[in-house]
Amino acid sequence: MKRIFDTQLIGPFAAMVIVALIVALTTERFLNPGNLSNLSLQVSIVALIAIGSTIVIFAAGIDLSSGSMVALLTMILAQLLKFIGIPLVLALPLILFFGGLLGLFIGLITAYGRIPSFITTLAALIAFRGLALTFNNGSPIFSLDPALEPIFYGKLFGVPLPFFYLVFFYALAAFTMNFTKLGREIYAVGGNPAAAVLTGINVRKVQTTTFVIAGFMTAVGAILMSARLNSGSPNYGQTLELQAIAAAVVGGASLAGGRGNILATLMGAMTIVIVQNGLNLNAAPSSVQNIVLGLIILLAVGIDMWRAEISALMGRIFGRSSSQQSSSIKKEA
Amino acid sequence: MTPATPLWEFVDITKAYPGVLANDKVCIRLMPGSIHGLLGENGCGKSTMIKTLSGVQQPDSGQILYNGKSVTISDPQAARDLGIATVFQEFSIVPTLSVGENIFLGNMPRSRFGVIDWARVYDEAARVLAEMDVNVSPETITGTLSVGEQQLVEIAKAIAMDARMIILDEPTAALGEDEIERLHQLLRNMRERGTAILYVSHRLDEVERIVDEVTILRNGCVVRASGETKINVSEIVSAMVGEDIGEHYPKEQNATDGIVLEASGLATKSGVKDVSFSLCRGEVLGLGGVLGSGRTEIARALFGTDELIAGQVTLNGKPVHFRREIDAIRAGLALVPENRKFDGLFFNFRASGNVTAASLGELSRFGILNLKVEDQATHDLIRDLEISTQAEEKTVNFLSGGNQQKIVIARWLFSASDILILDEPTQGIDIGAKIAVYKLINRLTRAGKSIILISSDHDELLAMSDRIAVVQHGTIARTVDASELTHDDLVRASADIPHSKPEEAFA
Repeated sequence: MKRIFDTQLIGPFAAMVIVALIVALTTERFLNPGNLSNLSLQVSIVALIAIGSTIVIFAAGIDLSSGSMVALLTMILAQLLKFIGIPLVLALPLILFFGGLLGLFIGLITAYGRIPSFITTLAALIAFRGLALTFNNGSPIFSLDPALEPIFYGKLFGVPLPFFYLVFFYALAAFTMNFTKLGREIYAVGGNPAAAVLTGINVRKVQTTTFVIAGFMTAVGAILMSARLNSGSPNYGQTLELQAIAAAVVGGASLAGGRGNILATLMGAMTIVIVQNGLNLNAAPSSVQNIVLGLIILLAVGIDMWRAEISALMGRIFGRSSSQQSSSIKKEA
Repeated sequence: MTPATPLWEFVDITKAYPGVLANDKVCIRLMPGSIHGLLGENGCGKSTMIKTLSGVQQPDSGQILYNGKSVTISDPQAARDLGIATVFQEFSIVPTLSVGENIFLGNMPRSRFGVIDWARVYDEAARVLAEMDVNVSPETITGTLSVGEQQLVEIAKAIAMDARMIILDEPTAALGEDEIERLHQLLRNMRERGTAILYVSHRLDEVERIVDEVTILRNGCVVRASGETKINVSEIVSAMVGEDIGEHYPKEQNATDGIVLEASGLATKSGVKDVSFSLCRGEVLGLGGVLGSGRTEIARALFGTDELIAGQVTLNGKPVHFRREIDAIRAGLALVPENRKFDGLFFNFRASGNVTAASLGELSRFGILNLKVEDQATHDLIRDLEISTQAEEKTVNFLSGGNQQKIVIARWLFSASDILILDEPTQGIDIGAKIAVYKLINRLTRAGKSIILISSDHDELLAMSDRIAVVQHGTIARTVDASELTHDDLVRASADIPHSKPEEAFA
């Protein structure tokens, strides 16, 4: 357990708690049971997609495609259910498979075609949105299947189902990253690809795998998106990829790769959603929400970057310096 | 011989970081026209001193005198204005820019309208390079040069600014023997012209050759300052380490007659041509030759990194074919790469992740890692190889070069490799760590493992190898017993390359 809940979680956790406290103190309705359960619904889609985005970032890649892929997959799901008439129990695994497949394509082109993932996924971001528009003449498809909605709105012991999806997938991701060969290889590839090659790690295969995971998790998000609105639309998931990346970054994942804790991404996503929720409850316009989201991202990365300065400042204020810092500098000297 | 006033005088320089006194009342006097060696183990405070002298940081207390007058070096620009040029150990060149641009970076000659005067940039750069006897066009993109040539460009920057004091931090770490000789000649010329030179190096044979005075630091204090007498290597070493270290090269004879690896007629697209040799159990086979002669490429060919276009590798009598690195690793080969920072270490991992990186398959069952075994093995290796115990808790970027190198070697002890290719294993690490690496080589050969040692340090290569293969132009010119070769033989044999163009694969 010590491996999973390491010190990297302290910062993102503190940020989440502080933000929650501020919102709770300033907004009456925040702590209503109804609002809290709404919160877990709100965070679920972006937080699930962010698992994939974060794992790609761990391997020093970036995935910009997830928002458009959500739109494309909801349209495919709608097509399957409404016009082809495939039963839900078959359609859902198919969507998960397609998500993984799209990720595989992106991964293969990136890793074996030696094209930076920023470019391949940017291309996918644009192309998937276009592809989504080719279904149903570009119009949304509604009322897909009555059995779809409970996937998102259903409850177990009074707790919304998406909460359990979050627990399941984050537990699985944390296990994978901390206890498996694959997880270690992902961190190794992100940390130093040249050294990874020389230690016999199949760098391209690992990179490809991260995109397959990202595609799969995007498909999970797409299913929840469809279930939430019982529909498919080529307009779903706008800027979702950026929110997912923001969650990873607020959670402290290094865009240079190799560093970060997957559970911190959940906290990052929570922090963002709590702020949005607080602004919503106070009837702040969406323009303000976007400005605040931008500032949060800057602040989160800034705090990470200025850690040494901040702790030195704290040391001056409180008259001592952390032992961690002094010993690290000693080695550098 | 000593002029009355020193050019620079650093008096009682003290610098503390939280929890550690990095420089404790350090005094250094630099005379014009003198090469001053600054020596000491890693972590002794050399880097801190260099940072203070080049204006990167301010001392907590102490006085800096320039021509007898007190000055402050407030930032790197102020240092430059005072005629101080620093050649840092880590390259500060921009690989995508031309050599000329790099030489004048931050200091570009301008024409009347404030526009960069490109003609002057390239003319001046060409003049400096010619003066240095470096055969590189100023218009070449710097990243395409070999590591050694890049280092010379770095030094050209300092020369171009007409510095009256030059600080060189391990300038020869990436240089071949002939390039080192060229650099030394250059420094002697600068000394003639009255430049003060502060020279930091771990290569004591060099220090003995070129340095006029030395200051030795240990734990942040000056333990020895010698102005006058002939400098003696063993004295330097004991002053640095603080104890008598005994034999510098503790070579053991462990070679047997049983051939484990045989290469015949190897060739690659990267320039390896018709390479044949054999390696015995317990043997250290040294690959000598200048930087760019093809030693690293031979290592890459053996390890499956570069594809063979001809030739055959035979392992324990069986022909093998390595399509990629993992095939070589599974067959018992190991490669400790030349550049541990770029190709060896995972700075995001603690020691454990670095130690097991090449053995994840063996460490896991159904894809799940056995972390207990990992922790235990890492703990044992850290104790065994006397690696700093910090490595268990902290990521390896906090460790000294010597500890880092031991961790890279520990990786291949954990994987139980039989044949280790060590490419410049002691580059840039201090004398104590070097001896630890030599002892490790002994331990490996004693256990029946075989080693291919690539080194530009001729003394080391001669002392630690059983046989030496001299590499020229990507092929092995001859293989002889190390005992039959002298330092001069090796220098001559490896430098005997007319009009060669270095082609390091990693450059």
